[in-house]
Amino acid sequence: MTFLTHFASETTTEPGLFGALGIDWRLLVLQLVAFLILVVILGKFVYPWLMKQVDERQANIEAAAEAATAAQKAAADSQEKTAEQLDAARKEAAEIVNTAKLEAAEMARRSEEKARKTAERIAADAHAQIDKDIAAARTALYNDTLELVATATTKIVGSELTKNIDQARIKKAVEESK
Amino acid sequence: MYFAASELHISIAAEPLFTVFGFPVTNSLLTGFIGSTLTVLILVYVALMVRSGRYNRFVGLVQWVFEGLLNQIKNIIPDTKLARKITPLAVTIFFVVLINYWFSILPGVDAIRIDGVPVIRSLTADLNFTLAIAIVSIVAVQIYAVRYLGAFGNASRYFRNPFKDPIGAFEGVLELVGEFSRAVALSLRLFGNAFAGEVLLVITAFLSGYFASLSLPVFMVFELFIGFIQAYVFFVLTLIFTALAVSHHGPESQTAHSPSVRRSPKAVPARNGR
Repeated sequence: MTFLTHFASETTTEPGLFGALGIDWRLLVLQLVAFLILVVILGKFVYPWLMKQVDERQANIEAAAEAATAAQKAAADSQEKTAEQLDAARKEAAEIVNTAKLEAAEMARRSEEKARKTAERIAADAHAQIDKDIAAARTALYNDTLELVATATTKIVGSELTKNIDQARIKKAVEESK
Repeated sequence: MYFAASELHISIAAEPLFTVFGFPVTNSLLTGFIGSTLTVLILVYVALMVRSGRYNRFVGLVQWVFEGLLNQIKNIIPDTKLARKITPLAVTIFFVVLINYWFSILPGVDAIRIDGVPVIRSLTADLNFTLAIAIVSIVAVQIYAVRYLGAFGNASRYFRNPFKDPIGAFEGVLELVGEFSRAVALSLRLFGNAFAGEVLLVITAFLSGYFASLSLPVFMVFELFIGFIQAYVFFVLTLIFTALAVSHHGPESQTAHSPSVRRSPKAVPARNGR
């Protein structure tokens, strides 16, 4: 407890409240002026450099942030454009597919029509040929029959008639038989 | 044996070591001169390194602290011009108080003596210094308030017609008393913490004896932390007092102390910051 007595004895020897607290106006003014000088010197020669550096860094950060924002916007624009192009490409592709389908259908229809006509023509030709062949076959059969009848008649009659006479007789007989 | 605080010596006032032309040079003045010189050297060194574009960890640390203080100033004082103007004062207060407070944990605070008077005593443990920077802070706040509001605008914060506005006049008187109490509170808070910190270290050393090497570091770290807190509190209070002083806008600003949401959407800091 010696320090308490020491403290007490010191404070009681100082005059007044300010003296007891150790306030000396000369020291107070000296320290006040010294501090102000310190503020002025530091404010004039030291802080501007530090503040400039902080400002530059802040400006760099802001520029980087702006660049990042611009890049984000550009990326968003690019994405939007890509989406638009994709949409356009899809629409175009759909149109092309539709057109192709229509053209294919048209081509198929034409081909079918052409094939049908060709088939009809071939069938008609075939029918005509068949008719011709039938007519030719009939004529040949008719002639063969005539010859066969003439031959048979000759054999039956025993004399050979002239071709013209036979044929006239045969023709007549045939007509009569009808 | 003369180890640490083998004999306690506690004095609430800084003690003179010698006189120069009749002017008493106290132990706190001597330590403060060294501390303030160290502050200037550190800041000049950092500024030169920044200027020349050379960086190291120490420069980065000081820059980081400086940038943090600048951001704090911008947050508390929205007016950019005013924030720029008050930056040198506020930042100097922070660094000077911080470094001088940390001088109180230097080994030999009570051990090195001349004629029984300790040579080392933190400048912040001298009421002359704390009162001086408190006066500087309050006067600076008044100067900025006058520049911002005008002489009459600033005076109207304190002096109002008691016949027209008796409550406002009473509030003005309270505001005037508040200005003095702020200065006293600023100085006594810092002085009390620094002085108590030194006393704590001396008594810890005295009670620990030979084990002081083990017990003191714990309290030294604690004092480092308290020093930072006190420097920051002084710095922030200076800013808050400035922000409060320039936020008054004539007699209609009577509601500025308890602003309604409709009239003042911005958050207003605590009135006296205590």
